[in-house]
Amino acid sequence: MKKSIILIVMLLSVAALLAGAALCQDDLEYLDNEAFEDPRRPAVPFSHDTHNQTAELDDCAQCHHVYDEDGQKIEDESSEDQACADCHGLDDDEQKPGLMKAYHLNCKTCHISSRKGPVACGQCHPK
Amino acid sequence: MNVIYQFVAGPLAWAAFILFLSGIFLRMIQLFVKVNQPEKFLLHYFSLRYGLRSIIRWLTPFATTNWRKHPVFTVVTFIFHGCLLITPVFLSGHVVLIDEAWSLSWWTLPDGLADLMTLIVIGSCVFFGIRRIVRPEVRFVTDASDFILLVIVAAPFITGFLAYNQWFGATWMTIAHMLSGQILLAAIPFTRLNHIILFFFSRAYMGSEFGKVRHARDW
Ligand code: HEC
Ligand code: HEC
Ligand code: HEC
Ligand code: HEC
Ligand code: HEM
Repeated sequence: MKKSIILIVMLLSVAALLAGAALCQDDLEYLDNEAFEDPRRPAVPFSHDTHNQTAELDDCAQCHHVYDEDGQKIEDESSEDQACADCHGLDDDEQKPGLMKAYHLNCKTCHISSRKGPVACGQCHPK
Repeated sequence: MNVIYQFVAGPLAWAAFILFLSGIFLRMIQLFVKVNQPEKFLLHYFSLRYGLRSIIRWLTPFATTNWRKHPVFTVVTFIFHGCLLITPVFLSGHVVLIDEAWSLSWWTLPDGLADLMTLIVIGSCVFFGIRRIVRPEVRFVTDASDFILLVIVAAPFITGFLAYNQWFGATWMTIAHMLSGQILLAAIPFTRLNHIILFFFSRAYMGSEFGKVRHARDW
C-alpha cells in the first residue's frame, strides 16, 4: 500500500514536471535578435505569457498593433501572427520607427509610465 | 526606481545640457566684452591666418618645442584628449538614447573599442593625478581643486564602464553615471575645464601677436 502511494506520487510529480516543461517551451523566453545584421547586445530575456500576466496586459494590440494608411491605430485588430521585424525594417521609415527603436519605445515607454519593469540598458540586455 | 531613472534621464539631463550650452555662450560673450573694453587694441592684432596656424600647430603632436620637450606627457595628453572627446560622442549607448529622444543618429564605435577607450581615459586620469603628486614642479602649482577636477572628469568614465559591464548593479550604476555625466557637463563652462573653449581663443591671440606683430613663430 505504502509503496504504491509513493509510486503514484512519483509518477504524478514527473507528469507535472513534464507538463511544466512543455508549457514553458510554449512561452517565449528570449526575444530573437537574428533580424539585426550584427547584434551588439545580448538578446533580451522576455517570458511572453508570464510578463503579460504579471503586467496584466489583456489587449494583444498594445504590442501587436495594426495601423491603417493614415497612421491611425486600428482599435480591434492585432498582428500577433507577424513578427515586429515583418513590418519594422532596420531603419526608420517616416512615422514607422526602425526595429530597435520600435522595441525600445514600445517596452520603455510603458515601463516608465507604469513605473515598473526594466529601463536601463543592462536591465534588459543582461550579460 | 523607475521614477528616479526617469527624472535623471529626463528633466535633469535637460538642465545639464542647457547649463552646458548657455554657460559656454555666456563665457564667450564675457570674453568679448572683456577684450573689447579696456583692451580694444588686442582685436587689432587679430589675424585669422596666424590664429589658425597656431591652433593647428599646437594640436599636432610634437609640432611645438614644448611638446617635444615632454614626450611622455605629450603622448598621454593627445591620446587622453582624443578618447575623452570621441568616446562619449560616438558611443552606442548615448546615440541610442539621442535617437529615441530626437530621431537623430550617427555612426557609433564598436562597444568593445569604446570600452577600451574608456579605460584609457581612466588610466590617463590616474597618470595625471600621480604626476601632480610626484613631480615637484607640478606639485608646486597644484591644489585640491586640481584633484577635484580630475575626479569630476574621471567619474562619468568610471561609472559608465561599470554600468556597461554591469558590475555592482546595472540600474543604480546607470543612474550614478548619468548624474556624474551631468555634473561634468554643467561644470565645464564654470571651472578651469573651460579651457576646452578658451584654448582656441588664447592660442588664436598668441598666434596672431607672434605672427602679425612680431613676425615670429610661436613655439
Ligand atoms: C525595456 C527593455 C530594453 C531596454 C531598457 C533597452 N533595450 Fe535594447 N533592445 C530591447 C529589445 C527587446 C531589443 C530587440 C530584441 C533583442 O535584441 O533581443 C533590443 C535591441 C537592441 C539593439 C539592437 C540589437 C543588437 O543587439 O544590436 C541594440 C544595439 C540595443 N538594444 C541597445 C540598447 C542600449 C544601448 C540600451 C540603453 C540605452 C538599451 N538597448 C536598452 C530591449 C531593451
Ligand atoms: C508587452 C508586449 C506584448 C503583448 C501585450 C503581447 N505580446 Fe505577443 N509578442 C510580443 C513580442 C515582443 C513578441 C516577439 C515578436 C517577434 O519576435 O518579432 C511576441 C510574440 C508573440 C507570438 C509569436 C510567439 C512565438 O513563439 O514566436 C504570439 C503567438 C503572440 N505574441 C501572441 C500574443 C497574444 C495572443 C497576445 C494577447 C493575449 C500577446 N501576444 C500580447 C509582445 C507582446
Ligand atoms: C503589421 C505591421 C506591424 C507589426 C507586425 C508591428 N508594427 Fe509597429 N508599427 C507599424 C506601423 C505601420 C507603424 C507606424 C504608425 C504611424 O504611422 O504612426 C508602427 C509604429 C510603431 C511604434 C511607434 C508608435 C507607437 O505605437 O508607439 C512602435 C513603438 C512600434 N511600432 C513597435 C512595434 C513592436 C514592438 C512590434 C512587435 C511586437 C510591432 N511594432 C509590430 C506596423 C507594425
Ligand atoms: C503596456 C505595458 C508594457 C509593455 C508594452 C511592456 N512591458 Fe514589460 N513590464 C510591464 C510591467 C507593468 C512590468 C512589471 C510587472 C510586475 O513586476 O508587476 C513589466 C516587467 C517587465 C520585466 C521584468 C519582469 C519579467 O516579466 O521578467 C521585463 C524583463 C520586461 N517587462 C520586459 C519587457 C520587454 C522586453 C518589453 C518590450 C518587448 C516590454 N516589457 C513591454 C509593462 C509593460
Ligand atoms: C548627460 C547625461 C548622460 C547620460 C543620460 C548618459 C547615459 C549613458 C548610458 C545609458 C550609457 C550606457 C551604459 C550601457 O551601455 O549599458 C553610458 C555609457 C557611457 N557614458 Fe554616458 N551618459 C551621459 C553623460 C556622459 C558624459 C558627459 C560622459 C563623458 C564625458 C559619458 C561617458 C560615458 C562612457 C565613457 C560610457 C561607456 C563606458 C564603456 O562602454 O565602457 N557619459 N552613458
